Amino acid sequence: MRNMVSDAPRTTLTAFYWAFILYLLLPLTLMMAMSFKDANFVAFPIGDWTLDWYAKVMQDKQFLEACLYSIMIAAASTLAATTLGTWIAMLIVADGIRGRTIIFALACLPAVVPGMISAISLRIFISTIDMPTGTAAIILGHTVHAVPFVVVMALTRLRSMPRNLVDAARDLGADGVVAFFRVTLPYLGPALFGGMIFCVLLSIDDFVRTFFLGGYRPTLPMLIFAKVQGGMSPEINAMATIVLVVTAAVGLYAEFITRRARTR
Amino acid sequence: MEPVVQFDNVNKSYGKHVAVDNLNLSIEAGKFVTLLGPSGCGKSTSLRMLGGFETPTSGRIMLSGKDVTRVPPNKRNVNIVFQDYALFPHMSIAKNIAFGLELKGFDNQRIHRRVSELLELVQLQDYATRLPAELSGGQRQRVALMRALAPDPDVLLLDEPLSALDAKLRQQMQIELKAIQEKTGKTFMFVTHDQEEALTMSDTIVVMNKGRIEQMGDPNTLYGRPGSVFVANFIGETNLLRSTVISSEGDVAALNWNGITITANPGGLTPRHGEHLYVVLRPEAIHCSAAEPVSGNRVKGKIRQRVFKGNHTSLMVEVGGGAMLNTLVHPSDVAQLGGEDIWLGWKPETTTVIPDRHAHN
Repeated sequence: MRNMVSDAPRTTLTAFYWAFILYLLLPLTLMMAMSFKDANFVAFPIGDWTLDWYAKVMQDKQFLEACLYSIMIAAASTLAATTLGTWIAMLIVADGIRGRTIIFALACLPAVVPGMISAISLRIFISTIDMPTGTAAIILGHTVHAVPFVVVMALTRLRSMPRNLVDAARDLGADGVVAFFRVTLPYLGPALFGGMIFCVLLSIDDFVRTFFLGGYRPTLPMLIFAKVQGGMSPEINAMATIVLVVTAAVGLYAEFITRRARTR
Repeated sequence: MEPVVQFDNVNKSYGKHVAVDNLNLSIEAGKFVTLLGPSGCGKSTSLRMLGGFETPTSGRIMLSGKDVTRVPPNKRNVNIVFQDYALFPHMSIAKNIAFGLELKGFDNQRIHRRVSELLELVQLQDYATRLPAELSGGQRQRVALMRALAPDPDVLLLDEPLSALDAKLRQQMQIELKAIQEKTGKTFMFVTHDQEEALTMSDTIVVMNKGRIEQMGDPNTLYGRPGSVFVANFIGETNLLRSTVISSEGDVAALNWNGITITANPGGLTPRHGEHLYVVLRPEAIHCSAAEPVSGNRVKGKIRQRVFKGNHTSLMVEVGGGAMLNTLVHPSDVAQLGGEDIWLGWKPETTTVIPDRHAHN
């Protein structure tokens, strides 16, 4: 016989869980639903359905340019952050390095500093070194923000790497550089791939740093922000839905790839 | 003939800890040499120094007549088979074996030929394109061996490569390793703590303890004529009879062991009256019988414990004064012994004598 009293906590927990899921998904669902509405106002009821807003977005030169710009910045900052992050991770696990805890703490700092503080300090920094706001400054800001994530992912993988692998490469005639590129780097591969996808998503998503460091060319979040200022329209919903679907797909794909590599 | 490997007064210490203590060792080309000892005896450190992964604190290491003491691992012609194999997980079996050849700058055709030849040697031709994760432990072991042999090293170093395998496979690999060594004619330097592995495969065994060489010789000598209590205990099972010298003349020494008079050949020793000696008596050298033996050393005893081991039965026999002797008999002979009271006899020439001063271990 089931005991109602002892089941109560469990039932409550399940109810909270579903309430949370609802809370999480409802705004997204609403946003997506409105992007198909055949009218100029974002409000219920949805009378007729249409794909016109998507067609409009795809022809919107501003949107396409902002997308391209965001992707360019993401690519550049990801490349820089992955290189830097891998290098720092290698430094931390290297033999005979003093103060590895301090290096690790410093490398992780940008991930925990509030975005606002980080953005202001970066802005002060670039004006101190007479660097103009704009593309280079944004890439710099995004790189600093992404490095900790690469470091952590690379370190986790490096620590699970059998020590003897590099020794074996050295033993068979590889110098340090060859051993790194032919053995360590391929071993890190899945972790770095996951880290890179994460960097891309962080960069595409970033608003605060870009806002403080940017010039006149808008990135995707800045463009959407500017459009929202001008009043809500289902076109913005369509834009946001495209971004949501693409980033979610990329994120899930990355998770799938790293998981497959881990189980091997 | 010039030795292929030579350690000259090699020391290695980590802070205050001395890992290798004044090692002097020459290894002849084409031999299967085993460094045997308990963990921490310095055998792995010696191997890693020869591989180039540790630098001696002092001393010199020669390889094929050249001083390699400070040469990095990628510049010396030795290869290691690691304990955990250390196969590159992202490369196929063929790529793993080809790794060292590519770095030597061989052309593709030559690499391909050498890889096929080596895969054939261990019957893994059909596995060339597989990844290491898709192979069994024994197969991975063979691939690691072939990868290390591929660049044709002056010496092949093996760092406890069999310890990850189960007992049955380990025995099979011992035979295979020895066969490959004989077929290729390579010098093998094998490190293990397993005395059985050492006895099975080696031409020469170097027993190490506390960073020093305890004794060096072929398996027969080490087993039959151990030079110290440590070696006697480490290799095989043994009875150590601590005795007092009564008299000694030439090849015959009369000794007092537990109130029983026994004789032994003191070998090169000239023991004096009252001196203490150890007599090494292997269990299989003892003959058990119901009647008193007519010659040789003999002692009466009582069976306290029998352990059936399949091909033999191990007996613990209590002799006078509470001393125990470990011996073994064929299972079918146990019944012929009659009761618990039996006679133990052994010929003096089957024992070895070790001076007591070596006993301080």
